[in-house]
Amino acid sequence: MSPKRDPFNQRRRKIRLLIILMAVFTVLLSVFCLFVGSSHMTFSDCIHALLRTGSASEVRIIWNIRIPRILAALIAGAGLSVSGLIMQTTLNNALASPSVLGVSNAAVFGANLSIIAFAGGFLSTGNNLSNYMTGSSPYAVSGMAFLFSAASVLLILGLCRVRSFSPNVVVLAGIAIGAVWTAATTILQFYATDVGLSAAVIWSFGDLGRATYRTDLIMLTVTAIGIICFSLGAWKYNALLSGDETAKSLGVHVDRLRFFSLLLASLITAVCVSFLGIIGFVGMICPHVMKKIIGQDHRSTIPASCLAGCLLLLLADTLARSIGRGSALPVGAVTSLLGAPFFIAIIFSGREKH
Amino acid sequence: MLKIEHLSFQYSRRSLPVLRDVSLELPAGQIGMLLGKNGAGKTTLFKIILGLLTPSEGRIELDGEDILSMPLRERARRIAYVPQHIHFGELSVYDSILMGRVSYFGLKAGTADHNAVEEIIREMGMEEFADRNAEHLSGGEKQKIAIARAMAQNPKLLVLDEPTGNLDISNEDLIITEAKALAEKKKISIISSMHDLNQALYMGDHFYFLKDGKIRCSGKEDIITEELIKEVYGIDSRIIAYENKKIILGGKHYV
Repeated sequence: MSPKRDPFNQRRRKIRLLIILMAVFTVLLSVFCLFVGSSHMTFSDCIHALLRTGSASEVRIIWNIRIPRILAALIAGAGLSVSGLIMQTTLNNALASPSVLGVSNAAVFGANLSIIAFAGGFLSTGNNLSNYMTGSSPYAVSGMAFLFSAASVLLILGLCRVRSFSPNVVVLAGIAIGAVWTAATTILQFYATDVGLSAAVIWSFGDLGRATYRTDLIMLTVTAIGIICFSLGAWKYNALLSGDETAKSLGVHVDRLRFFSLLLASLITAVCVSFLGIIGFVGMICPHVMKKIIGQDHRSTIPASCLAGCLLLLLADTLARSIGRGSALPVGAVTSLLGAPFFIAIIFSGREKH
Repeated sequence: MLKIEHLSFQYSRRSLPVLRDVSLELPAGQIGMLLGKNGAGKTTLFKIILGLLTPSEGRIELDGEDILSMPLRERARRIAYVPQHIHFGELSVYDSILMGRVSYFGLKAGTADHNAVEEIIREMGMEEFADRNAEHLSGGEKQKIAIARAMAQNPKLLVLDEPTGNLDISNEDLIITEAKALAEKKKISIISSMHDLNQALYMGDHFYFLKDGKIRCSGKEDIITEELIKEVYGIDSRIIAYENKKIILGGKHYV
């Protein structure tokens, strides 16, 4: 009898080590981010603020702005990245992103509707910014954005049920419904007042500065449930890599898996986008980079993609806060600026197979 | 034993039937070859056996159990599939074979699953490349891994879709030998499609000729005649004997 095979062979050990290093680096970067920002606080000021012995404004900056912001970067980064990975696997499409079911377009429409129509926008005659401040609570805008995102997801999944969630049908339906939301947003913005339009456009910039402990908790709950479910289904996602027919012959309910995966990934995205605005590229490039480095085994790519998302969003937000000279740049723009060259490099690297 | 009774299938009410009143029997431990032109209905029949399509009429039994009403997971423990085009998603050979145990372990592999995979790797002589990336291996090796994965399902019936379709002559021989050994040693019924009639003659025990969704003729090797080939494939052929074995020469070049 041959000796028992080492289930943790050299390659798997290396992958484990990489994931551990990424986790450690994420913790270190999170701590580092506490001390970086546009308010020019020194290291000592930050320590005092952390211990609540500093000035009231410094304590507020650390505890009410930086910590919720860092938490939001970690949660949204992990959520968007793992959602992108699951979308790419379940739809067998390398270009699939967390917003493939029109989530972002629907969220933008919902937010625009809330800001422009219900909070003193085109329904009001006044062109006064105070209308928007009094009428639109952040939860009303986020709530409306989420409502439309969820409606879009359910509508597309409902339609695709007729075609047994065929990946191509899902992607095409997502593009079509997304286009409808975009068109509706354009019409809404056409009738908006200048100030309403500005408020609506500014909302769509991804911005972690909107995060509070409460929004972080909501995002964490949905994202954690998603990551746990995805991790439990890692072998089923691996089976999907062999094709639908093979996966079914192995006992995997492909249609059911695809439905729940798309639903969960879209809900994570909807919650993140509704609270933070559009944050591009995290969900597309992080899974790609990790698949390229460690392969496609979902037992590893799920945690690795989560950590890669955390790192990218933390890094992008830190840059956004540091180079913004007094006010932070929208993080959505920075992730795209950082992500696009990376993505182009992947496309032209020649090793990409899927 | 695999028993198919009066099976019919059509994609929609308005479309023509793809399978019409198909009935066949395949004893345990034997290899059945499903033969016919492209579009005859072979792949459709496989898809119904695997639970990927639902027939409009008919019944399929495996060792007396009704396969059509069986849950997918239960079916995966009885019927395994080796597709023509094989992908493993860059998993190692070991993990690719372990995937065959998904219907047993559900979320996480247990000791019994690892032991089963170890045994298959040993039996099929794959120890040397068990830790390599399955996607980077040759066509023959991939086919062998797919058969090993199917074996990990511990099936009673193995469905092979054109198992030698993309292989060179040495790998063709390797896969046919492997399939014959499995049927004999493990008493697994194997149903396979194949375009090369000589390979089919070498591999099979029973032959089922499909034309336009109907079984035109079935039985042992002696049913294969030049007339049958003409009827099913629409070509002239010559059957010659070599060391008590039939060799089929098909097409204009030989006739």
